[in-house]
Amino acid sequence: MTANEAAAAAAPVDDHELVRRAQHGETEACEELARRHRRSVFVLALQLTGSQDDALDISQDALLRFFSKLNRFDSTRPVRPWLFTIVRNRARDIWRRRKTRRAKPLISDGEEGFSYDIVDPTADPHQDLESTELRHRLWRALGVLSESKREILVLRDYHDLSYVEMADVLGIPTGTVMSRLHGARKALRDAYLEQQGGQGG
Amino acid sequence: MAETCSRSFDESLLSGYLDDALTQGDAQRVRIHLEDCSSCHTLVVDMKRIRKATMTTPFTSPADEQWDERPQGTGSRSAFTLGWLVLIIWGVGVIGFALGHAWAGPQTWIERLILFGGGSGIALVFLSVLIDRLKNRKTDRYREVEK
Ligand SMILES: [Zn+2]
Repeated sequence: MTANEAAAAAAPVDDHELVRRAQHGETEACEELARRHRRSVFVLALQLTGSQDDALDISQDALLRFFSKLNRFDSTRPVRPWLFTIVRNRARDIWRRRKTRRAKPLISDGEEGFSYDIVDPTADPHQDLESTELRHRLWRALGVLSESKREILVLRDYHDLSYVEMADVLGIPTGTVMSRLHGARKALRDAYLEQQGGQGG
Repeated sequence: MAETCSRSFDESLLSGYLDDALTQGDAQRVRIHLEDCSSCHTLVVDMKRIRKATMTTPFTSPADEQWDERPQGTGSRSAFTLGWLVLIIWGVGVIGFALGHAWAGPQTWIERLILFGGGSGIALVFLSVLIDRLKNRKTDRYREVEK
């Protein structure tokens, strides 16, 4: 092996290359793709549904769907928004189903499900208590937002998708992303402030 | 509750500003506006702080073993299904063949009854598994088209 070949072997392979290999039937490439994306796919599903069971279900489903359609997938496209689109659509199905079953809001403040899935802050001594508290409050505030606000906010402020990617996942024109996102951010801030006011601090 | 900007200013530009998604001209407009609009200034500061917190929020996710329990590729899944089908058809064929032979041979009616009873029992079990698998195939939610 030459030095160049060794360097190429050591360098991380990008998603496009992995998709191409997976399309040629390389099982290892499939597994690597799944390993790479399943965490963020799961977390997104959790953020959208507020339920760990649903999140696991949705994320496994999303990965299976991705692989079952892999041959038709354009390997020059980014993988993550594509997976996120599946997750988002499945989450919408779940919202719809829940709405027909019971009239109460999907997630209300303090309801279980939206409070316990953040990693225990005491496990990481480098996180100061104040920002940990802020994160928890924001997470609870997120739970009271409407679905359409929550999804755009989560895509941008938890997963850092670009405006173009958000438009792609949500199926909306790029030009409307900014105003929708801004509305969601304001709503989150308001929900957060309201909560803080309610707790007297 | 937070106050809102009273002027005729497109507030959503603030989010674009925060995300570095504005044209130079718009970014300049925002900067000028922020200099003398305290409510927008506060909003930008809040949004920045919130984004910093959300972007660094750690989440738990399932352990690796939990993921590995599920099949990952279509290749292995269809091979698995095909394997079952072949096995079932083979099993039914072999039993049928053996039954036919035994039936034709010289035997008492008791021997025939035992053979036939046992054989058809096994065949029924195989058949039920086959029906089950076909049903699963039909209702398998992973086969749906997305969207
Ligand atoms: Zn203003």
